[in-house]
Amino acid sequence: MMKKFLTISILAGVAFAAGAATAQNDPIAQRKSIMKGVGDATKPVAGMLKGTEPFDNALVQKALATYIDAAKKMPSLFPADSKHGGETTARSNIWDEKPRFDGLFARLGQEAAAAQGAIKDQDSLKPNFGKVLGVCKECHDDYREKKN
Amino acid sequence: MSVGGARVLAWDGPTRVFKWTLVLLVLDGWVSNRFGASLPQWHIWNGYLALTLVVFRVLWGFVGGSTARFSSFVAGPRRALAYLRGAKYLGHNPFGGWMALGLLALVAAQALTGLFSADEDRLIIEGPLAGKVSDATVAFASHRHHLIFAALEVLIVVHIAVNLFYAAFRRDPLVKAMVTGEKPAADYADMRSAAAGSWGRAAVCLAIAAALVFGGITAAGGRLF
Repeated sequence: MMKKFLTISILAGVAFAAGAATAQNDPIAQRKSIMKGVGDATKPVAGMLKGTEPFDNALVQKALATYIDAAKKMPSLFPADSKHGGETTARSNIWDEKPRFDGLFARLGQEAAAAQGAIKDQDSLKPNFGKVLGVCKECHDDYREKKN
Repeated sequence: MSVGGARVLAWDGPTRVFKWTLVLLVLDGWVSNRFGASLPQWHIWNGYLALTLVVFRVLWGFVGGSTARFSSFVAGPRRALAYLRGAKYLGHNPFGGWMALGLLALVAAQALTGLFSADEDRLIIEGPLAGKVSDATVAFASHRHHLIFAALEVLIVVHIAVNLFYAAFRRDPLVKAMVTGEKPAADYADMRSAAAGSWGRAAVCLAIAAALVFGGITAAGGRLF
C-alpha cells in the first residue's frame, strides 16, 4: 500500500515537473499566458474608461505593473523556432521586423511607467491610459493575426 | 465648344462642400485609426460624421442642386453606351455616377460596420453598438470594416486616376469644377447649366441627417461617447 502510494506520488511529481519544464521551454505558451494576464488586468480599466465601472486606482496600477512586467519578458519569447505551433496569433513579420517589434514593447514599458505616476483620478486616467493602449493597438495592428 | 469663354454652374456650393468634407473625413478615418489609438473617440466621431454626411448626400440627391440629384445622374446601360460614343456631361457622366454611388455605398457600409466593430478583446476601441451584439457579430463587423476600407482604397485610386485622366487628356476639368463649381459652357448631354440647391435646404438636410444618425444610435441603445 505504502509502496503504491510512493510510486503514484513519484510519478505525479515527475509528470508535474515535466509539465512545468515544458511550459518553461515553450515560448508560445509563455507569451500567450503573459498576454492573457495583460488582457485580464486591462478588463476592469476598460470599464472605467467607458464609465461603466468606478475609478479604482489600485486596479489601474495593477494593470500598469502587469504591462511593465510583460514588456520586459515578451521580447525574448519570440525565438526563431517559435513561429508556428501552439495556435499562435503572432504574425510572421515579427521575425522580419524584430527591432521595431521589440521597440514597441520598450515603448509599452515606458508609457506604462509614465502613466503609473500620472494617473490619480478618473480625469487623468483617460489621456494617460489611452497612451498605453495606443501602443497595444499599434503592435496588434501590425503583428497580431486577426481571428477571421 | 466653349462659347466665348462663358462659364456655367456645374456643382452648387453645398454639393462641393459635402464632397470635400467627405474626402477629409475618409482621410481622417485612416489617420485616426493609424495614429489615434490613444484617443478612440477621435475615430468613432469621425465615423458618426461620415455617416451623417452620407445620409445628407442621399437626401440632397432628391432635393439638392440639379447635378446632385440622383434622377440626373443615375444612368442605365443605354446612357452609358451613348456616353461611350462621345457625349459630354456637365455633371456626372454615367460612369462617374456609378462611381459616386459606389463610393457613397462603401463609406456608408464602412460607417455602419464601424458601429458594431471593436478590437478583438473589446478593450481598446468599441463602436457604440458593439456592446449590444455578440462577440461573433463584432468579429464579423470588424472583419468587414477592414475589407471595406481596402475596397474603398481601390475605388478611390481609380476615381482619382480617372479624374486626372479627364483633366489631362480629355480637356474636361473635372477636379477644378468640383472646386470652383464652374465648367466652360458647352453642348452637354445632361443639361446646359446646373440649377443650384439652396443653402437653407442643405442645412435642413444636414439637420435631418444628424438627427437620424445620432438619434438612431441612441435609440438603438448606443452610447455616443
